[in-house]
Amino acid sequence: MRIIDVHTHPIFFGDGRKETAVNQLVTHGRTLGIERMIALGDVLRYGARPDEKQLVKLNNENGRLQQLHPDYFIGFCYLNPLLGERAVMKEAERCVTKFGFKGIKLEIANNASDPCMRHVMKAARTFNIPVLQHSWSTVNMGPDMKDHSDPDDTAGLARRNPDVNIIMAHLVGIGYRGVLAAKGLPNIFVDTSGAYPEDGLVEYAVEHLGADNVLFGTDLPIRECSVKLGSVLGGRLSATAKHKILFSNTARLLQLY
Amino acid sequence: MLIDTNTQLGVWPFTFTPDRTAAELLKHLRASGISRALVSHLGAVFQPDPMPSNRTLFAAVKRTPALVPVPVVNLRLANWREQLEACVAAKAKAVKLLPNFHNYNLAAPAVDEFVATLAKTKLRLVINFRYEDERHRYFGLNVKGTPVADVQALLQRQPKLNPLLAGIYRPELKELAKACANFSAEISFCEWHNTLEDLLKVIPARRLMLGTCTPMLSTRGEVDKLRCAHLPVKTKALIGSANAIRFFKL
Repeated sequence: MRIIDVHTHPIFFGDGRKETAVNQLVTHGRTLGIERMIALGDVLRYGARPDEKQLVKLNNENGRLQQLHPDYFIGFCYLNPLLGERAVMKEAERCVTKFGFKGIKLEIANNASDPCMRHVMKAARTFNIPVLQHSWSTVNMGPDMKDHSDPDDTAGLARRNPDVNIIMAHLVGIGYRGVLAAKGLPNIFVDTSGAYPEDGLVEYAVEHLGADNVLFGTDLPIRECSVKLGSVLGGRLSATAKHKILFSNTARLLQLY
Repeated sequence: MLIDTNTQLGVWPFTFTPDRTAAELLKHLRASGISRALVSHLGAVFQPDPMPSNRTLFAAVKRTPALVPVPVVNLRLANWREQLEACVAAKAKAVKLLPNFHNYNLAAPAVDEFVATLAKTKLRLVINFRYEDERHRYFGLNVKGTPVADVQALLQRQPKLNPLLAGIYRPELKELAKACANFSAEISFCEWHNTLEDLLKVIPARRLMLGTCTPMLSTRGEVDKLRCAHLPVKTKALIGSANAIRFFKL
């Protein structure tokens, strides 16, 4: 079974930068059958709202990963929408042209419902790349967590921008309510990354979104690749659905092959 | 051979857990390579008296010897001695405590009395920390995980006590391992890149056991945590079954 992991952080709070660590990770992934990893960057090293210089540094590190193993890592460009249109477009263009990054990664600088997201949508349209938005149910979060995008916020973003493909991250974090928020929006793809492997959720997502709109992701190193992989391989799903989730959906979305 | 030290019959009311019979649970576990399992009943978590669910559990696994019943004792209830006696009479191998769900602190006098009484039996003890990730569960359920500081205080107060800790998070286990050596832990709620290699830096393999928290978590996913770990076969065998055989005298 061919496998692409759409949600990884090979460098995490500075760990994993050394070439030996990178090589070990590639070997580890290949041992599990993961043939490509989407590297999303060390997104929280400078807190929730990195400035322009910090973004350049983080994206350059991600680019270096790709240069070390061009046949393995595929980078996404990490952006802070609050920096405004000029900064967002400049960094997106730099990452796409210099490194060939295949998507945009958004974390918790702001909520997906904020007006500043229009700059990111413009960049995604301009460079024809998807946007991976950190999403998590905010129901149990305090008021100081308003910059975490609830699945309703991410679904609203997709509804307002039907021509941009949005990856709603963290299936277990968004939960059953998140799956239903994404239902009926063909430009939303839910990734399986994050949290403990709650049994039955992948099947629920396939039932309501279709196997074409679910992507395999882990959130490495916060999660264990084998656990996430086992939750899909052990799921009550057809072989065709598993192939789509584990490989072909991401390959098609990122135009990899 | 794999032995799962953390499985449940019954349903969890806030999600779509299947209501399996003992035979169906065993078939499900075997599909992931598990041949024996310690099993409790989820009814004992929320119902006002654990005994009806314990009796349901004993009856359910009577003809399924590969499932070893672990009844629950609620120390918040006045009749906990009676509950414990019933577990002894049923020839259980172990009993499980759910301090957080049953609303008592591990510093309560009943806990030390229970430990002293338990020592006169052949029963082993399982202390449960949680059944789910508190961050994204049903909003109306506010029960926190069993506090690791309370468990640490109990272990230090009762140095001969050597329980299995179930549902413990990786950071909690690492914190506890610095202070105490008189516990074992199952690994269902421990997760990080290369989980087991990471845990083995702070706790020896002879104190770790496979646990899947079936049916809440993916059985196959949890088994693959061990199966795919970069560890010697002997170490995997300890975690996968040998420790459970020794601990529960299976």
